[in-house]
Amino acid sequence: MATGLKDKVAILSMGCSRFGERWDMGQEDLMREAYAEALTRAGIDPQAIGAAWYSSHYDDIGAGKSGVPMAMALDLPDIGVTRVENFCAGGTEAFRGAVFAVASGSVDIALAMGVEKLKDTGFAGLPTASRGMLVPMYLPTHTNPGNFAQLARAYEAVHGIARSDLKRAMAHTSMKSHANAVANEKAHLRKPITIEQAVQAPLVADPLGLFDCCPVSDGAACALVTTPEIARALGQAEPVLVKAIQIVTSNGWEAQQQGWNGAYVHTTRRAAAAAYAEAGIADPRRISLTELHDCFSITELVTLEDLSLAEPGTAWRAMLDGRFGADGAQPCQIDGGLKCFGHPVGASGLRMLYEAWLQLTGQAGPRQLGTASTALTHNLGGAPAQNVCSVTIVGL
Amino acid sequence: MGNIIRIGACLPRLRLDRRAMAQAMGWLVQGAGAGRGTRTLGFWDEDSVTLAVEAARAALAGDRAESLSFCTTTPPFAEPQNAALIRAALRLPGLCRTQDCTGTPRATLLALHAALETDATALIAAGDRLVAQAGSLAEARMGDGGAAVLTGPGEGLFTCLGGASLSLPFLHRSRASGSDTALDWEERWQREAGYQTQIPAAIAAALDRAGVAAEAVDHLVLPCPIPGTGAAVARNAGLGNARLAADLADHCGDTGTAHPLMMLAAALPQVAPGQLVVLAQLGQGATALVLRAGEAVRNHPGLPGLDTGIPESNYLKLLAFQDRLDWDRGLRGRYIVPEAQSTAFRNAEALLGFVASRDPSTGQIRFPPRADEAGEVWPLADRGGRLATVTADRLAYSRHPPSCYGLVDLNGGGRLMMDLTDPDAAELAVGDALHFVFRVKDIDQNSGFRRYFWKAVRDTAQV
Repeated sequence: MATGLKDKVAILSMGCSRFGERWDMGQEDLMREAYAEALTRAGIDPQAIGAAWYSSHYDDIGAGKSGVPMAMALDLPDIGVTRVENFCAGGTEAFRGAVFAVASGSVDIALAMGVEKLKDTGFAGLPTASRGMLVPMYLPTHTNPGNFAQLARAYEAVHGIARSDLKRAMAHTSMKSHANAVANEKAHLRKPITIEQAVQAPLVADPLGLFDCCPVSDGAACALVTTPEIARALGQAEPVLVKAIQIVTSNGWEAQQQGWNGAYVHTTRRAAAAAYAEAGIADPRRISLTELHDCFSITELVTLEDLSLAEPGTAWRAMLDGRFGADGAQPCQIDGGLKCFGHPVGASGLRMLYEAWLQLTGQAGPRQLGTASTALTHNLGGAPAQNVCSVTIVGL
Repeated sequence: MGNIIRIGACLPRLRLDRRAMAQAMGWLVQGAGAGRGTRTLGFWDEDSVTLAVEAARAALAGDRAESLSFCTTTPPFAEPQNAALIRAALRLPGLCRTQDCTGTPRATLLALHAALETDATALIAAGDRLVAQAGSLAEARMGDGGAAVLTGPGEGLFTCLGGASLSLPFLHRSRASGSDTALDWEERWQREAGYQTQIPAAIAAALDRAGVAAEAVDHLVLPCPIPGTGAAVARNAGLGNARLAADLADHCGDTGTAHPLMMLAAALPQVAPGQLVVLAQLGQGATALVLRAGEAVRNHPGLPGLDTGIPESNYLKLLAFQDRLDWDRGLRGRYIVPEAQSTAFRNAEALLGFVASRDPSTGQIRFPPRADEAGEVWPLADRGGRLATVTADRLAYSRHPPSCYGLVDLNGGGRLMMDLTDPDAAELAVGDALHFVFRVKDIDQNSGFRRYFWKAVRDTAQV
């Protein structure tokens, strides 16, 4: 009988590069920047690392396949490096690999790294991902704004929300993240915006405008995980412990059958329920902070509902009421989120955990929340109809 | 002799105003945009193959054919055989004999003449997306379209009484291999030495074979882009009593290989059972067919879509859609369309024929179909569906932005993310009824290779 991950693995340390348009750096440099921070914070010899997991999404503009680019970039000590790829949930997938390794007793300390170098494409937005030979023969030439715009249109249709109300709530979502990121020196976008600016921005994919979309960024983030005992032995009196990691992957039901109404994300609901059960959380609203996969403003609103942090059809109103702001009851995207910290695809899951770890250990500096004991991170890779979703809960 | 069972036609929805053509090019070329009204303009994803497929779907109406002749002067592929793609799109049996007929707009009547000499069930599918020099008279007079007929031994629209095809090295129009645009010789010579001489000769031979007197003919269907020529031809051929079928110049222009059938379809409401029709066309000689109308012409609706086009006043769309403008596609527009022929062939029934699978134990419909289970073949092309989610995407590369797509709930079960096409795709909303059309999916900018798939358009017939 599976007993779950709760309290079996501790986060020893984390590191994160500055995110943004890092014209001066390749993916190897970005990984080294994040890794150096994690090693310094942990105070360990790299020889103590027993295994590593490496997440990057794009082969064609990235460092290439396999674990070799990371082993070489970080001069890892002749250990196994496993490359994982699971769309925007890749960072969490790498973290899960490292956590499994420690939980199984296979290694004492494991490394999880995510990196993406996106600004070598020559254009804004994500490149079209390779989907093999057959899929492009029938699937539309789509973009992620187009995929998530469909979520917005279904959400307003299903819940009967006026376009003007939805636009304003989406604008408020982005405005809040911009305000949060001002205090984050590693964030890609650190300039505050107004709701009017966001509402009036040019459309990218109806109804999503420019400020409803997160940027694509260069960046890397990593975690060193170990057993709670080793973490304490290394001087952490109250280490941050893994409470749950759940990943759910679409099997075609949403995209190929007719049961899904398009106004929520099926995998998020499933992953959240499983994660709450694994962590033993009865009331998700008592989680101290959440880092959600706000690739688009509408994704944040819908995810708040799918995580049971708001009732279906009400998150837009709660957002306008300020419930998810830095001083609200349920702070969300305190570091600026994907929207402003940035979104280097393979790194984002680990970037969220970086913020959760900083907040839970009181190291978040000017954006430190009062008392934080639990944090939830959420990734959504792919499109609302066909995706990989992860929900991770960590706490003291 | 065989019968014409059914006629199908397909007109692109865009109607380019000739005044816009004159305004765009008239300062440079005298005669640009000549004539009144509009001509059809194929959307970026319509070509001679897709126009022929849509026309053929209407002509077949679910029937099968023993052979398929694809007639065009604008084949997308010099190689391979284009008809093989059309057969697969129509899901005709693999033993259907396919051929491309090209080189002249008369190719359609040549193929039809050959088919009507037998009792075979033959599909003649014509399509042209014509190209002429910018500002030329030909560009103004031509239009894009597809038309098809099904022939066979059964009762139908017409019985063929006789036909004649005359071959002559009359090069009133020539285009070298590899060249996009043709050179037209002097119009007076075309009219007098061509239309007014060769067509009457072919008609005389056809009437003789049919045993019909010229004065008994009720209708003359003769595509001729030179205005006023039809009456002179009828006079020279002795068809003084025949009604001249409308040339459709003001609506769609001359649609090349499709035009004889297009004009015949448009003329059907004027044809009564028992009447005699002569169908003729010029092209390195001439073909004339003598047809007697059957009962099926009674109450025929004629040519669908003739008066329901979308007005277009931007001449540059013609150049952009025909890939004759080096426009800024952005870096997203620089993607490769891999041929991946072995993958395409392995999935040809799904991709060209638009076939899903149905799991008999669960009833689940899946596209792409599951080949590894005892799934039933589940054709989708004629089912239609409803839009479940939708977007108009301004970031994705498109030859007609925004790129519109969404999840389509397929009638009968199953769901698929599909491209939405036609100029008004951005107006589609959740819940709208859709039907499916065969279109160009992608064109590789460097190699010119193109591939096809099915897309969704608004279905005005479904409520």
